[in-house]
Amino acid sequence: MLSRVADSICWLARYMERAENISRLLLSTQDLLLDAGAEAADVTQFWEPLLLATGDDAAYATLYPAITGIGVAEFLTLREENPNSMINSVRAARENARTVRDQISDELWECVNSLRLFLESQDARAMLLHQPAAFYERVLLSSYQFQGIAGSTTPRGEIWHFLCLGMMLERADKVSRLLDTCSAVSTEMTPHPGSRPLRWAALLRSCSAWHALHTISARLDPVKIIEFLMINETFPRSFEYCVTEVHRTLEALCLSLPASAEMHKPARLAGRLAADLRYSTVDEILAAGLHDFIDDFQTRLNMIGTAVFETFVLYAENAPAAEDPLVPPASWQPGAWHHAAELDVQTQQQQQ
Amino acid sequence: MFNNYETSSFFDEVFTDSSVRPHYRAVLEAMNSLNPQDYAVRQRSADNAFLRQGVTFNVYGDEQGTERIFPFDLMPRIVPRKEWQRIEAGLVQRITALNLFLNDVYHGQKIISDGVVPAELIESASHYRPEFRGVKVPHNIYVHICGSDLVRDGSGEYYVLEDNGRCPSGASYMLENRNAMKRAFPGLLQSLPVRPVDSYGALLRETLTHLAPPGVLDPVVVVLTPGVYNSAYFEHCYLAKQMGVPIVEGRDLIVRQDRVFMRTTHGMQQVHVIYRRIDDDFLDPLVFRKDSLLGVPGLVKSYYSGHVALANSIGTGVADDKAVYACVPKMIKYYLDQDPILPNVPTYLGIDPKECGYILDNLENLVVKAVNESGGYGMLMGPQSTAEEREAFAGCIRANPRNYIAQPVLALSRHPVFVGDHFEGRPIDLRPYVLYGDRIRVVPGGLTRVALRKGSLVVNSSQGGGSKDTWVLWDGLAKPAETPKAA
Repeated sequence: MLSRVADSICWLARYMERAENISRLLLSTQDLLLDAGAEAADVTQFWEPLLLATGDDAAYATLYPAITGIGVAEFLTLREENPNSMINSVRAARENARTVRDQISDELWECVNSLRLFLESQDARAMLLHQPAAFYERVLLSSYQFQGIAGSTTPRGEIWHFLCLGMMLERADKVSRLLDTCSAVSTEMTPHPGSRPLRWAALLRSCSAWHALHTISARLDPVKIIEFLMINETFPRSFEYCVTEVHRTLEALCLSLPASAEMHKPARLAGRLAADLRYSTVDEILAAGLHDFIDDFQTRLNMIGTAVFETFVLYAENAPAAEDPLVPPASWQPGAWHHAAELDVQTQQQQQ
Repeated sequence: MFNNYETSSFFDEVFTDSSVRPHYRAVLEAMNSLNPQDYAVRQRSADNAFLRQGVTFNVYGDEQGTERIFPFDLMPRIVPRKEWQRIEAGLVQRITALNLFLNDVYHGQKIISDGVVPAELIESASHYRPEFRGVKVPHNIYVHICGSDLVRDGSGEYYVLEDNGRCPSGASYMLENRNAMKRAFPGLLQSLPVRPVDSYGALLRETLTHLAPPGVLDPVVVVLTPGVYNSAYFEHCYLAKQMGVPIVEGRDLIVRQDRVFMRTTHGMQQVHVIYRRIDDDFLDPLVFRKDSLLGVPGLVKSYYSGHVALANSIGTGVADDKAVYACVPKMIKYYLDQDPILPNVPTYLGIDPKECGYILDNLENLVVKAVNESGGYGMLMGPQSTAEEREAFAGCIRANPRNYIAQPVLALSRHPVFVGDHFEGRPIDLRPYVLYGDRIRVVPGGLTRVALRKGSLVVNSSQGGGSKDTWVLWDGLAKPAETPKAA
């Protein structure tokens, strides 16, 4: 497979996962607020973590005077000026899909392209305003459809592995950011079984973990929640699950590389991170400090991402037996299409 | 829906003055059985499918809404077997002669020394590559994929309007149009002996595989695209997918020791055949345009040394020059000693002083074209032009007569297209695709383009053109669609 294609496929999955996460985050927050209304909670404390989780609070402040539900929802979904908004993520997914259209199934391409057409339509804007829940569900369904089509039409080879890799790296990153927004919140149990720690409840819902956790713990114990989201082996959005998947995928990918004495770097990094999570206890994590632990986790995720890029995308450059020195192509950076220079657009258009 | 349909003074594909042409009867019946609302629903659902599938092209210089679908009209254009057989024979003859011509031009130039074509005409053609003379190409084939544009005049005679020997585009639309028809009119398609076009991808791959360097049993074939921002990117990708080969950009390829490799997740992999959709000028910055970022440094040298094959070859544009086009009938006579089966549109050359005078005297009756432009650009439509436009063109022609040719305005044949709630006649052309590999194959079908704007004669997509599916019938003895009605 072309190195460039591998990169695009990975980012296609990442951007779709990103759009899905934004949708779920908004939907769960909105639902929770409907419950919290009677308790006269301060709405800002619900919307602000959303901005913190995506790291866009400063960008938001330049565009909106105050943190409101409508403002945050618009900013995270359809706002053009927000480079991380849902619409821009889906566009990026679509451009990456377009680049590798010959490699993925027609159904998969149509799914991504249809979602992009929907988000760019007037209907989408009206729906967001008047029936936001339906809007979020529409996007969620598209993402599930994407995963379903990918799962049922993609041969289990490199394309599949790179799709998984992109999805799991993105998911691990997003869940860790969400958890981090709660790292300063008290982990004490509330004294009355009837009262609910709203922030923790919101966190659970935005990770689709509410029901899964309830099967193993009847009460919303923050420590249990942290444990569940970080080191549960079975929950498909937990840190450990995601990293283990990344590791498995990387081992499969490295199998096809020429054997070398040293284990391939991405697999080694992912394996070590997976082991660290697997053999940690929640008490150790809390003792080390939740925020610091998550910070370290994210750094290591990024290192895996970089190693993947260096190993698979730049591999050809680094391959031995070059008698003349090779210069990597100038416009080649991770993240595929959207980093491409404006120049590309011009020169490519000159052709008939 | 066909009330008030005008057929006078043109060759109409469907109707004669008094009746329906036999090969259109079934289709017309089907169209008439729908009311305009039903028809519009099918049309909309076809349009939406194109949009969803991203069967779109980009309009340059248009910041907003750059993505458009190529307008598609549901009523198919039908070519009966006998007509098609003549077209097919004519195209085979033509691509044979063109390849003999190119081989000659890039080697001995006998056609010049025998005085059939003036040297000046060849040497001044802008896509002529003198540095390419003497280079041997695989099997002496230069044009592997050709898409000649055919038109019909008022009498129904087919003419070749131009040959596209560089990178003819549109084959993907031929295939997608058929898919759209399968959805919109499955019953109709099944009830007629319509020849399938879906083998195009497989035939193209065979054609390309044939070019592989000797001894390579399982050659690696790729499609080379300028990139995702190119207006034809959809087509490049589509064809790559139909063939089951990778699509690459210049930056994915690298040349080492005169061999071409692509950068893969497994390291370097050698490439043997490149279906390139990049013009000569951009192919290799070491040889052609130095500023090209699209090409591959060293590619041309690798081609010269025979380690990689290109389709189409370099320098084929010399035959696309509209003044050289005018000589194709002479080439057919010279190389094959045959008369052309498909005639050229009569063409006056600016380079010939006598004909140039005629052009200047008759501007308002002629279509004047710059020899190297395509896509409907650089044209003067005499009868619709203003005095100022004619004056400006006359100035250009006097300044550089070699650069212009003129043709009489053809009364292009017309075909019904759906407009609002009824059918109106619009001019059409036909671009069939010819593949030259181990043998010559013409895909039974092609892209029928329509000038959708009322009064327009230009069918190019950049100028408001649309397209139709083209049904070539295999109307054998059992179904004598060609049999004339009893008197």
